[in-house]
Amino acid sequence: MTTQASTPAPSQEKGWRPGAVEALVVVLLVLLIGQRWLTELFSSPAWSAGATIFVSIVVQATPFLVLGVVLSGLIAAYVPPEFFARALPKNPALAVPVAGVAGVCIPGCECASVPVAGGLMARGVAPAAALAFLLSSPAINPVVIVSTFVAFPNNHVMALARFVASLLTAVVMGWLWLRFGRGEWLKVPSRDHLVGATSFETFRRTASHDFLHAGGFLVIGGLTSAVLNVVVPPSWLQAVADRPVISVVALAGLAVVLSICSEADAFVAASLGQFSLTARLAFLVVGPMVDIKLFALQAGTFGRAFASRFAPTTFVVGVVVASVVGMWLL
Amino acid sequence: MTRDVGSALLVLVGAAILRIATADTYLRYVKASMRPWLLVAGAILVVLGLLALLDVWRSVRAEARAHRAAGERAAGDDEDHAHDDAFDDGHGHGSRLPKAAWLLVLPVAALFVVPPPALGAFTAERQQATTVAPAVGAQPPPLPSGAVVPLPLNDYASRAVWDAGRTLEGRTVSLTGFASAAPGGGWYLTRLALTCCAADATVTKITVKGAGAQPATNAWVTVVGHWVPGGGTNSETAIPWIQAQSMTPQPAPKDPYE
Repeated sequence: MTTQASTPAPSQEKGWRPGAVEALVVVLLVLLIGQRWLTELFSSPAWSAGATIFVSIVVQATPFLVLGVVLSGLIAAYVPPEFFARALPKNPALAVPVAGVAGVCIPGCECASVPVAGGLMARGVAPAAALAFLLSSPAINPVVIVSTFVAFPNNHVMALARFVASLLTAVVMGWLWLRFGRGEWLKVPSRDHLVGATSFETFRRTASHDFLHAGGFLVIGGLTSAVLNVVVPPSWLQAVADRPVISVVALAGLAVVLSICSEADAFVAASLGQFSLTARLAFLVVGPMVDIKLFALQAGTFGRAFASRFAPTTFVVGVVVASVVGMWLL
Repeated sequence: MTRDVGSALLVLVGAAILRIATADTYLRYVKASMRPWLLVAGAILVVLGLLALLDVWRSVRAEARAHRAAGERAAGDDEDHAHDDAFDDGHGHGSRLPKAAWLLVLPVAALFVVPPPALGAFTAERQQATTVAPAVGAQPPPLPSGAVVPLPLNDYASRAVWDAGRTLEGRTVSLTGFASAAPGGGWYLTRLALTCCAADATVTKITVKGAGAQPATNAWVTVVGHWVPGGGTNSETAIPWIQAQSMTPQPAPKDPYE
């Protein structure tokens, strides 16, 4: 890798500027010196609850994000591109449902699936298929389905409804991307800089790079969710609980705001007893596919142009599919 | 963001996760069952960060060597430029790290400088109490034997609300929780429960009868008493009652959630 050090820096970066390392040291020093002031600030109950929720989201997501970047690193380093060419149907329209069902394989939550989907695209998997995988894997993997089964002891069909509605939404979104998606919206993670590196080097650098890439956006998502969690009065929800249509959209919106891990959301849905089962299904379908934390992760990995089109469309498709499946199964 | 800072951040994030997972601090944010995953994830991040730092150090040295060699050929070359190049390694490959990665400083700072406290009365008072219905036909098991039976609040509430207190009748129980304000004045004995992390906390509240002086908000107490009917049954939002025989202040438990 020593040869790469001789690559000339882009010309606009010539000349001295305060180094990033110095900036990091200054930031950490300011935080340490400001400790007492910070402690006082966080003595207000709302601030401190917000800070706790923010830290919780980040701490809770970290192991899953690490799982995701390790998997994406392994894909980059050890799985040859031919493998995916052989494993998936040539026709992208068929590859979409196959990739959607393959989402069963990764027992993680949405934080793990974003870097993995990016890694798949970088390995030449059709974006539409990788996106179907991105949406389905956090929602239909065995851990999530079993926890849904346990959380709804009196409505076991909820687990089935969740599986069906989530898979359908993922496949529909894959097909929509195939039909209407444009390549220039999507920033496919590039691995060109790794040409010539050893497998372990490729693994290590991909994992580190993907973690730093996604981590900052995870922080944005966690912050936004924590602020909304503390600022939005929960009484707003109670007001719409008994209105059939609005309640479905309201719970889907709540899933976006809360950004709960898909392995935990079934228990939260179970505690929303005043809402209809269909509304709670919408909560379970939309949550793992569109939430603030996930939107930030997607924007960081695939670009803002992609996330700002993909996430709202997924929300609409998810709500519609959940309503139809809810009417049919629940 | 340059690669050296990125590498340092990997080490710092990993170290912060390891720090809270090796102490009890992590219990303020996530379930106890997350601990092994936090330890593994923290260790992986620290190792990835250290290897990346080693990488940066190696290329800085190689760059310095090249600079020295070049300097012998043309003395008095632009020093700053060479310095810049050394730190820019990893830039020219189309893999720039986004500025957003800087935000990872926030959780690192929060965990090292002021770890936020566990959720308490503020969260509990904003949320409706919920006692999730058990499976239809499922009978709660009889209470364990003993003169005073310690029970989690959500177990007590589930027995009182969904089984009309049948398994609680005639027994003395002890419940440990913190005080949160009731909307119409007075207070509830309160405990939060997590599924994964504090963002998904659900709350159990119990009305304490005959406890005497109201404890301060967020103060932890153990109430020893017996079940009395009241507060409603067969509703997810019912808040059951307990008749207190005694109430003693407690230090906050290691794991504040159920």
